Amino acid sequence: METATRQIVAFGGGGFSMESGNPLLDEYVLGLARGERPRVCFMPSASGDADHYVVRFYRAFPAERCEPSHISLFRREQGPADLRAHLLAQDLIYVGGGSVVSLLGVWRAHGIDAILREAWESGVVLCGLSAGSLCWFAEAHSGFHGQPRRVEGLGFLPFSNSVHYERDSDHGLAYHAQLRGGMRAGYAAQDGAALHFTGSDLCRVVASRPAAKAYWLDPAPAGIAEVELKTTYLGEAPASSTETAAIAA
Amino acid sequence: MIPSILALGGHDFTSRPPDRAVSELMLRLATERAGGRPKICILPTASGDTAEQIGRFYAAFDERPCEPSDVSLFRLGRRPVALRDHLLAQDLIYVGGGSLVNLLAVWEAHELEAILSLAWRRGIVLAGQSAGAMCWFEAGITKSSGRPAAEAGLGLLGGSLCVHYNNEPERRAAYLDAVSNGMPGGYGLDDYAGLIWEGAGPPSAVTARRGARAYKVSKTDTGVVESPLPARFLPAPAPAALREDIAEFRRLKSMRRRAGWLA
Repeated sequence: METATRQIVAFGGGGFSMESGNPLLDEYVLGLARGERPRVCFMPSASGDADHYVVRFYRAFPAERCEPSHISLFRREQGPADLRAHLLAQDLIYVGGGSVVSLLGVWRAHGIDAILREAWESGVVLCGLSAGSLCWFAEAHSGFHGQPRRVEGLGFLPFSNSVHYERDSDHGLAYHAQLRGGMRAGYAAQDGAALHFTGSDLCRVVASRPAAKAYWLDPAPAGIAEVELKTTYLGEAPASSTETAAIAA
Repeated sequence: MIPSILALGGHDFTSRPPDRAVSELMLRLATERAGGRPKICILPTASGDTAEQIGRFYAAFDERPCEPSDVSLFRLGRRPVALRDHLLAQDLIYVGGGSLVNLLAVWEAHELEAILSLAWRRGIVLAGQSAGAMCWFEAGITKSSGRPAAEAGLGLLGGSLCVHYNNEPERRAAYLDAVSNGMPGGYGLDDYAGLIWEGAGPPSAVTARRGARAYKVSKTDTGVVESPLPARFLPAPAPAALREDIAEFRRLKSMRRRAGWLA
């Protein structure tokens, strides 16, 4: 029996939540999903199931492109009664941004953590941005709650993760401090960059913006090694001035 | 420091008389605790921190003699709050309705239970309606997973609570069933009925709408018994004076309507 490929696409930030008019990351994850008209389920739990966010999802994933649905864990009486059956029947599960601490709390209360592992192992593509990226990792650097906080994620990916990453910002420096303080090695992605994992191996970094970057950070004894990762821009290649110069020379 | 809890079966923050009566009661309890202008904070966690719930709370208290605030655990990224310091500085903490399961799970994730328990011991009034009322008890009946089911609360108060007693028959039936099957007995609260605990001893019942009742629910040898509790009626305070421009707008509108310009 062929085992399904386990796939996770973790956005540092981007997609319909953050990049109005730039569908590159959303197109990319849709392209990974099985079938002509993939079933896509949005989980807005990290936002407290904000109505406006659900509306924006349906606008970004219209019924012509896919079979969209969402699960609101704050209004269980309205959605699918059998969460497990619904989630396992999807081709893509898309997790929205917000509070990763609240997200994990609500998921555990409804048994979503175990269902998502089952979905991932059966080949449902998992993706998300911000809190919806952090949640898949063993450790999340959630620096957006005042005090930087180390949060234990679902642990599908045995690394740490930092999103909306900017090297020299307070948030970036706080991630470095946490790595020095014992957080495991991990990936940091800027807005517009997405880490695509098959199993727990990083297979590609893709970007919706030409300059968006992602990094591997390893807390070596000599200091933190920060390696910039090769990134594929998903849009049309801009005319490169260096290339033109090379040809001219 | 008298630990105090106000549990409400259901209400809203509108300008209707029973809602105004409930808001007035909260303001009174908070003012008694403060001995002056009180601080009142809403925890809208059970709703997912909806803007509606927060907006209605502010609409009820903005113009009143108090300092209202909100703590949105889903928005701490955009609006960081020192949770412990902020909550322990309040005179009354109000918890809104929604999903009891999510409320408790999110509080646990943010380590709020101990802070709220401490607040209670320090005499900060804990108040709430629906999920925000049941959370203080050992158990409640919630529809968090779709159908009414028993769920454990924080247990600051012994026994159980069932809310919306008069207008959700399926919830009441599930409660009576659970109590007959061993869930600790407790109270049933209609919308606009409430119970106030001040220190040890039994609670006193209040009602903001004629006919709204509080019941003591106990298991006996002959089955589960619901006994209505005598309740004090809370009259609605006079509505807050309208701002002059709003009053003027309404006057104009009613004049035009009388003139037949508006359908």
